[in-house]
Amino acid sequence: MPEALLTVSCYGGMVVPHFLGAQDHPWLRTVLDEHARFRSRPRRELDERLREGLPCAAPAGKVRLTLHVLGRLWPTERPRDLPPPRLLRSVVFSEAARSRDEPQRALERVAERLQLNVTALRAALFADLAGERLVGESPRSLDAGALALRVNLALAQGLLFRAVHVRVTASDGVRRVVRLAKLHGLICTVDRREEPELSISGPYALFRRTLVYGRALASLLPALGWCPRFRLEADCVLGQQPRVLRLQSGDPIFPGDEPRRFDSRVEERFARDIARLAPEWNVLREPEAMPAGASLIFPDFALEHRYDGRRWLVEILGFWSPEYVARKLAGLRAAGIANLVLCVAEGRNCSEDALPPLARVVRFRRWVDAVAVLRAIEEGG
Amino acid sequence: MPMPTREDCWSAHCSGPAVRLVFDRGTILLLEPPNGVDVAAFPGALWDARVRAHRAPAFRAEALRAWLARHGIPFADELRSAPAPPAAWTSPELRPYQDAALCAWELAGRRGVIVLPTGSGKTRIALAAMARTRAPTLCLVPTRALLGQWERAIGDAYAGPIGCFGDGRRELGPITVATFESAYRWMGRLGNRFDLLVVDEVHHFGCNLRDEALEMSIAGARLGLTATPSSDPAAVARLEQLVGPVVYELAIGDLAGRFLSDFDVVTLRLELTPRERATYDRDMTRFAPVYAAFRRRVPPAAGADFARFARRTAAGRQALEAGRRVQRLLALTEAKREVVGVLIRRHAGARVLVFTADNASAYAIAREHLVMPLTCDIAGREREGALGRFRDGELHALVSARVLNEGLDVPEADVAVVVGGSLGRREHVQRVGRLLRPRNGKRALVYELVTARTLEVRWAAHRRAGLGARSATDG
Repeated sequence: MPEALLTVSCYGGMVVPHFLGAQDHPWLRTVLDEHARFRSRPRRELDERLREGLPCAAPAGKVRLTLHVLGRLWPTERPRDLPPPRLLRSVVFSEAARSRDEPQRALERVAERLQLNVTALRAALFADLAGERLVGESPRSLDAGALALRVNLALAQGLLFRAVHVRVTASDGVRRVVRLAKLHGLICTVDRREEPELSISGPYALFRRTLVYGRALASLLPALGWCPRFRLEADCVLGQQPRVLRLQSGDPIFPGDEPRRFDSRVEERFARDIARLAPEWNVLREPEAMPAGASLIFPDFALEHRYDGRRWLVEILGFWSPEYVARKLAGLRAAGIANLVLCVAEGRNCSEDALPPLARVVRFRRWVDAVAVLRAIEEGG
Repeated sequence: MPMPTREDCWSAHCSGPAVRLVFDRGTILLLEPPNGVDVAAFPGALWDARVRAHRAPAFRAEALRAWLARHGIPFADELRSAPAPPAAWTSPELRPYQDAALCAWELAGRRGVIVLPTGSGKTRIALAAMARTRAPTLCLVPTRALLGQWERAIGDAYAGPIGCFGDGRRELGPITVATFESAYRWMGRLGNRFDLLVVDEVHHFGCNLRDEALEMSIAGARLGLTATPSSDPAAVARLEQLVGPVVYELAIGDLAGRFLSDFDVVTLRLELTPRERATYDRDMTRFAPVYAAFRRRVPPAAGADFARFARRTAAGRQALEAGRRVQRLLALTEAKREVVGVLIRRHAGARVLVFTADNASAYAIAREHLVMPLTCDIAGREREGALGRFRDGELHALVSARVLNEGLDVPEADVAVVVGGSLGRREHVQRVGRLLRPRNGKRALVYELVTARTLEVRWAAHRRAGLGARSATDG
C-alpha cells in the first residue's frame, strides 16, 4: 500500500494509526451503496463518480484508504456475450495495419465480419482492462462494520510492511505466531520478564534498517488477532524516519481465519480419548510456553489433575522431517522439564541418547494410546 | 579466477579447530571460532545476541575468506549448498567491442559494470561471461516480461535446465533467471546457490531500493549491465560495493554508423487549443508558486520530496492536484492526437514505435488510431504474440508507455514517435536505443512531440541532453 494512503499521525517517535470506527459507518454505508448502484457498469464509471466526492461529510484520507481496500475486495467481471478482447485485438489491429485505411473503416469491416456493431466492438476491444471490467455483486457479509475492520487491518499491515523489528507480548496463542514467524524465516527470541516478550526480526536486520521482512512481519497480525490479549510494538520506517507503532488487543482490526484447534488428527484424537477416559484430568491445548535457552518451546498439551494439583506436559512428536525432530529434541533437552510425557512416533527411530533424560517416553504407531500416557504419568507419581 | 571450493578451504586451512562459515538466510554466521580468535575484527561482522554468534552480510563472503586467510585463521567454508554443475555451454561469437568489454570485466576480477547502448548486445556478453566462468549463475532482470526473453537467449547457448523465479514460477536450476522483486523476496534462500550474479539494467540498484537482493548473495563474481548508468555519486559508490566499478563504457555515438544505425531527431512544436491553454494556465497558477517555493528551499530534491512537502498544507495539496492535471493534459493534447495519426499514416511502410507518458494515453492512441498497445495490463503471451507480428510485418506500429522502455528485445524499427515521457533522460536514451538495430543504409527517425510554451519544452531539452551532441532538426 502506498505510504501516502496510510492515515496516521506522528508524535515524536510514535506513529498512531487513525482506525475507522462507528463514527465512520454512515459514510462507509454510502460508499458500499455507491458500489452496489454501479453493479454491471464499468469500474471506470464508478471511479469517476467516486472522484467527485461522497454526498455526505467524510474524512478525505480515510475515504482514499477505504476506496483502495474496497477496490481489492469488491469483485469485477468481464462483460458476457462478447468474444474475448484478446482475440478482438488480434483481429482489429492486424486488419488496421493490413488495409492502411482510416481506422473507422477497418473497424467497420471487422465488425461486419464478426456480426457486431462498431460501438460494441470498440467497447469490447479493451473490456478486460481493470477500468473496463464490470462492477460485480456485493461481497457477502460486507457491511459497514466489516469493511471498517478490513480497512483497519490493511492500515495496520501497511504500517507493519514498513517494519524492521517487532516485539510481541501475548497471553495465549503465541505458538501460532512463533510458528508463522519461523515459517517466514524470521528469528524469534524471548525475553522473560513478568510476561514473556517475543522479539521478532530477520537475520539481515542486524546490519541495517531493511524492509525486506516487512511482508513477513505484516503477515503475523491476523494470527495475533486471535490471541485473547496481546501488545505489539514495531519499529517502522515512515517517510525515511524511524517510528514506533503500538497495537494491542481491542484495536478494531479484522482477525484472520480462525486457527485450527489441533495441528493433526493424532492430537485431536488424543485430546478426545483423554477427556473420555480420565475426566479427572483437565486437558489444556497449547499451554504456556517454556523457556529453552534463548528460545521458547510450546508443549502440545498440559494435563492438570482437578483434585490433587498434579500437572504434566505432553508433547507429541509425530511425522515430521528429521531436522525438525532433532531441533525439537534439542529444545526439550535444553528446557529440562521434569513432568513431561514425550510421545514419539515409532517411525522416527529416535535413539535413547537423543531423548530428553527427564521425560517419560511413550512410543506410538498410528494413534497415541491415551491409556499408555496415563500409565506413564501414574508411574511418574 | 577459479572459484574456491569447500574442499580447497578445508585442505588449505583446516587441520584443527576452525571457524565455521554457515549461510543463514542472506547472512554468514561465524560459528565456533577457536579460542583466541577474534572474528569481530572482520570489518562488517557484528555480534548477534539473538543467536549468540557473529554474523556478516552474505555479499562480504569473498572478503571474509580473504581476511581469514590473511590472518591465518583456519575456517571451514560451509557457505555453498552443493549446486548442480552447469551443463555444456556454446560460447557465443562476440563483436570486437563486446570481447573487449568481457576482457575488461575479467581483468577487474570478474566484478564490474558494463555500460553499452541499447541494442548493442549486452545479453550476448552476459552469455559469454556465463560460458567462460561455467559457474552456477543467477540472472536478475527488472520485469516479468524479460524472464522469457532471457530464458530463450540462455537456452540458445546452454544445454542444461534453466530455473526461473518470478511470474508465478519458482524453479531452481544451475542457471536461473529471476525478477528483481522475486530476488528481493527469495535471496535469503537462494543466496548461497550461485557463484555468478548477472544483473540486467543494473542502474535500478544502488539507491537502497531492493539492494538487499544483491547484499544477501554470496556470489563473488558479479556482472552488471546497463545503457544508462546512474550519475548520483552515492548510488555509484553503493553499486561499486555491490557489483563493482564501471569496467567498460561506450555511448551511442561510439557505435552509431557501424554497429548501431545512425538516426535523426525531429522535434515538432505543437500548440494547445484555446480551451487547453486556459486550463493549463489556471492549473499552473496554482502549481508554480508552491513548486518555486519548494525549489528555493530544497534545490536538489526529487519529485517524491515535493509531494511530501506539498501534502502538508491545503495550498500544497491543491498545487499537487493541479500539477497532476497539467501532466495529464500534456501527456496527450488535441494536437498530439492528430499528429500521431498523421505520422502513423505517413510512415505506413515503416515499423513505428509510439511512446507515451502513461498507459491512459497509450490506450487512447490505440483506440483512436488502432495501434496495438503494449502495456503492463497486456498479458505476457499476448505481448509476445504482438512483438512477433510486429517482427513479421503483420503489425506496423506499437504504442507503449513503459513496457518497451528497457530490456525487452524489440524487433527492428525505423521510426519512433515520442508523444510524452515521465522518466526523463534515462528513459529517452533507452527509447531511442530501440531504433538503433543496424541494417544496410538504415537511418532511424525520432519524432518528439513538444507542446510549445509549456513545461514540456524544458522536459524535452533535458531528456535530449542524454543523447549527447546528436543532430536535431526543429520542424
